[in-house]
Amino acid sequence: MKIKNKKYKAIDYIRIPIKVNPIMGILMIFLRIAVASIPSLQVLATSRFIDTAIDIFESGGMYRIYTSLIFIMILVAFSWISSMLLSFIKLRIELSMNKTFRTAVVEKRSRLAYKHIENNETWDLISRIGKNPSEQIMKGFRNLLNIVEYGVKIMGLMLLIVSQVWWVAIAIIGIAIPLLTLASKSGKLDYEAFSTAQKYKRKADYLKEVLSSRESVEERSLFGYTQEIANRWLNRFELARKIEYKAMKHNFLRMKTASILTAFLSMAIALVLLSPVNNGMITVGMYISLVTAAFNLVQQMSWQLSVVMQEYVKNKLYLKDLTRFSELEEIQGVDGLPDTSIQKIPFESIEFKNVYFSYPETEKKILNGLSMRLERNKQYAFVGKNGAGKTTITKLLTGLYDNYEGEILINDRNIRDFTQEELKAYFSVVYQDFAKYHLSLKENVLLGDCGGTKNQQIERDRVKRILTDLEIMDVVERLPKGIETSLGKLSEDGVDLSGGQWQRVAIARNLISKAPIHILDEPTAALDPVSESKLYKLFGKVSRGKTTILITHRLGAARIADEILVVNDGVIAECGCHEELITEDGIYAEMFKAQRSWYHEK
Amino acid sequence: MKNKDKHKKISPWSMMKKIFPQILSVSPGLFIFNSFVFVLDGASFAATILSMQILFDRVTDLAQNKGTIKEAVLALMLLFGIKVFQQIVSGVSNFIGETYDSRSKGKLSHIINLKMSKLDPVSFENAETLDDINKSYNGVKFAINFINTIVDTMTLYLPHFLFMGIYLFNLKPILAVSLVFVFLPVLITQIVRVKIFSRLEDFSAPLRRKGKYYEECMTGRKYVKETRILGANPYFMNLLRQTIEQMNNLKWKADIKANLVELGTKLISLFGYLCILWMLFDALMKQEITLGAFAAVFASISSMFDMMEEIVCERLGYYAKNFGKIQNYLRFLELPERDENKKYEEDISYGDITLENVSFSYPNGENNALDGINLTIKDGETIAIVGENGSGKSTLIRLLTGLYLPDSGNVLHNNVDTRAMTTEKLFKDISGIFQNYQKYQLSLKDNITISETGNKFKGKERIKHVTSQAGINLKDNIFNKGFKTMLSREFDGVDLSGGQWQRVAIARGLFRVHKFIILDEPTAAIDPVEETKVYKRFSDIVKNKTAVIVTHRLGSVKFANRIVVMKNGKIAGIGNHNELLASCSIYKDMWESQSQYYTQQASTK
Repeated sequence: MKIKNKKYKAIDYIRIPIKVNPIMGILMIFLRIAVASIPSLQVLATSRFIDTAIDIFESGGMYRIYTSLIFIMILVAFSWISSMLLSFIKLRIELSMNKTFRTAVVEKRSRLAYKHIENNETWDLISRIGKNPSEQIMKGFRNLLNIVEYGVKIMGLMLLIVSQVWWVAIAIIGIAIPLLTLASKSGKLDYEAFSTAQKYKRKADYLKEVLSSRESVEERSLFGYTQEIANRWLNRFELARKIEYKAMKHNFLRMKTASILTAFLSMAIALVLLSPVNNGMITVGMYISLVTAAFNLVQQMSWQLSVVMQEYVKNKLYLKDLTRFSELEEIQGVDGLPDTSIQKIPFESIEFKNVYFSYPETEKKILNGLSMRLERNKQYAFVGKNGAGKTTITKLLTGLYDNYEGEILINDRNIRDFTQEELKAYFSVVYQDFAKYHLSLKENVLLGDCGGTKNQQIERDRVKRILTDLEIMDVVERLPKGIETSLGKLSEDGVDLSGGQWQRVAIARNLISKAPIHILDEPTAALDPVSESKLYKLFGKVSRGKTTILITHRLGAARIADEILVVNDGVIAECGCHEELITEDGIYAEMFKAQRSWYHEK
Repeated sequence: MKNKDKHKKISPWSMMKKIFPQILSVSPGLFIFNSFVFVLDGASFAATILSMQILFDRVTDLAQNKGTIKEAVLALMLLFGIKVFQQIVSGVSNFIGETYDSRSKGKLSHIINLKMSKLDPVSFENAETLDDINKSYNGVKFAINFINTIVDTMTLYLPHFLFMGIYLFNLKPILAVSLVFVFLPVLITQIVRVKIFSRLEDFSAPLRRKGKYYEECMTGRKYVKETRILGANPYFMNLLRQTIEQMNNLKWKADIKANLVELGTKLISLFGYLCILWMLFDALMKQEITLGAFAAVFASISSMFDMMEEIVCERLGYYAKNFGKIQNYLRFLELPERDENKKYEEDISYGDITLENVSFSYPNGENNALDGINLTIKDGETIAIVGENGSGKSTLIRLLTGLYLPDSGNVLHNNVDTRAMTTEKLFKDISGIFQNYQKYQLSLKDNITISETGNKFKGKERIKHVTSQAGINLKDNIFNKGFKTMLSREFDGVDLSGGQWQRVAIARGLFRVHKFIILDEPTAAIDPVEETKVYKRFSDIVKNKTAVIVTHRLGSVKFANRIVVMKNGKIAGIGNHNELLASCSIYKDMWESQSQYYTQQASTK
């Protein structure tokens, strides 16, 4: 199944479940309609039963009652058993939804253009949709079926009444229409109030985090601000609550007015029907059972009708979300395996020609006419202040964004002509916020070579070799199951690593890759300068003979590179080896001197 | 927090005793009023049936020309009146109930919020405590529901069943009795269901977590870049499909089992129900009950069943399922507090800070993070602590300030043990700029004044003074609303850079009145030029104050009176720069490895 790009309408709440499980979907609809017609049938059965009973009092003949008694019992039995059948069918559909629809949403999400993921607004939308997609659809499905059920119930009763005394129907419709409009209106207004309240709640939630998070415990204890912040929390919470309170008050009033009106309606029916009973136009049995059914309906409707209508409005809003989600741009191939066939063409060079770039919906030019040329088998270091555009360069290289101006060439071929799968096969990156996959250590490393060999033994050997190169085999040997140990807290026997150890796992993943270009994007921010330099040296040694790009602002680490590129204000401001840059006496020299001043008195 | 304590069961009665007063205190008058309305609500159900019976009897009379139309209309009016009354009463009670719940939620969460500050800071190093906190917030909802269930049972369901029982018993005693019997199988099913589904939950909870996690790996912000470039999507998709398959299997099996049990018991119930119907019919034929009574009971029997199912299956079942979650709330409130049994109430004016043979280990930590530390910091002295990652620098300052208490040995502030003081007294004159300083999503002003929330400074002078001392330029475009600028993109404010945040943290530390200040070097990435500025500011701050500065940049702290070198939780050397170069080989090594980059003839590789 695929999430089609289209405008989703209420009917899709029925269409999607039927699509994932046609038999159960259709069965569900039929059964719900059958259940909805029970009350009308019950009216018929009861009225016949009562009338027969009255007749028996007068003229005897007990045996005549049995057929109507059996009829009633069959109806009762059917309504009991059908409720079980329904829950069984519902489950079947739910399971199919999980299998088909949930994965379809995940697939769509994993193909989204990267700009949607970094943009806060679309990200909110994406996470809303991603939360419980199949439950949401099932909710909508059930809601529509509920509406159908009420409709059938009401229509059935109407038909019965009309068949007895036709003019009553006109009176009923006159009262019923304004009632239903009232009920459907109530949903919309509320939703707005609730989403305003939600804003305050988010703020309150943030304060709760300040009050309870581990990160803030030092400042919280020392500064002793709990009382003050807790009071503010209560303030915001109350603000949100009061908005909700108001909305709820309106809602309850509307709901109760509606149900009192419905009670009034059923009383009107009961009243109008009195004279036909008197005239003998309708039987006592019919009267009793009609009135009973009408009042039962009031009872049900008093709560459920407005709830159903409210849900309907909410579900429609979800459809809006779903429509917007389906319209989000997908990038072909971003969720595919690397296309390793391209590795057969030897890597020669990367070239940026006058590249301008700013993030979507922002004005600031992050890259401002940047030009450079990187060649094979050399080690490069990018340095510069925060926000100078270092990381952006890697984002463009790896195809996360392509709304740049100018040209980016790999082997003199435009990067836009490469497929996503080909780019994957060219680059291996350790990001600043590298992923800590909660898988086994071996799997963590092997993810660096997706689509590589599947031979268990060869794989194990390769992983071990790289871990040895990175000098963490001693840690690995202390793990309960060696390289098969699960990392992270996902499985019960999982082991958590320290920050530095995770970094090496990430670097191991990078090294096992057969990609010709290796990028390290400040993966060591949390390390002290000495440990960082050590790690970079180690990396430099292990990746000798490969093309590497280091991104850092710690100059000590940059010195191991063949060439240092200083990024400033979106261009390459300086470039050359350490000595050259010092002689140039520019930005690099300034940064270097700033650090040197700590160690040398002037 | 020993395991034994954690799994101590709290009886429902003592749970009730503890939570009920908390909820009642939100608004006692309203609570009692609403309970009364609930009783009316329950009673009105029985009244409905009674009035239906009267109406149907009148109508039968009417049809048989024994009564007048006026009598029938009067009966109908009565029924209508009761129906309207019932709608109003149930509307009011539900409305009050629901709004009361959200007020209770505020109250109970507030209680947790305040409790948080009383925990020992070190307990936040313990993953279990963090888990407890999370669970206690979640437990609030269940605690409120628990009280509601009990109150509703007493005020709504019990009167309802009582009235109904009396009514039925009056009609025909056997009816009331057999109704209870018919309901028994439903009860049994419920117990079985709870068991089956709680077992299902045990098995499927880890799977669900896994499924969510694999989704996260493919689509989460933290992972998406890397998973894509690795080409690992197919791998995770496969894992996700397998997990869903397993989960579906478990669910299917459990549901089939539960449904079969239900089918069995429901058939028994159905049989009983049909028997009741037969008895009603029989009584009608024998003219023991009137036609009206028959119709009224027949009409309301199913709603009565619904109500029984509601209380037993939904409300009590819910309670049984979430029993543990209610306990989580209470357990958290009973966690030991730092300031329990603290005797020392006098103010201490700052003097020397002394560490006597101090050792400390983290909860769940294998080794001592600090091991036999002896150190005296004189009043007005500036101390620098240097060492590599994990050498115990940050731990040492946490003990110096008294945030953490030593496992053995003593930390004395002006000769008073940090263990003896309440945290309020202890921290009164201490301020700090921490390594992981917080980026509060609040206004600039709040971000600074949060360090001193008492009423000491209302005036603007001090805040202006500290902002300029910290190097914050309010004329910078980013602070478009001055001190009121919201420092959070999420709440419609602005994003600051790492360097700017660092300055805000410095202003925050300075705003608090202090005689002793700790400065922990930020590890978050800031570029060399900014870093140099930070040290410059630090050296200005510590002039003429008792101060401790933590760093791993040896060259940057030559302004300190003494430097303490940490290695593996021990002090490897104390002295000034030149003394240490001469006497401490660890310091010398560190110095050389750092300064070599900056000497002219350094080798490149």
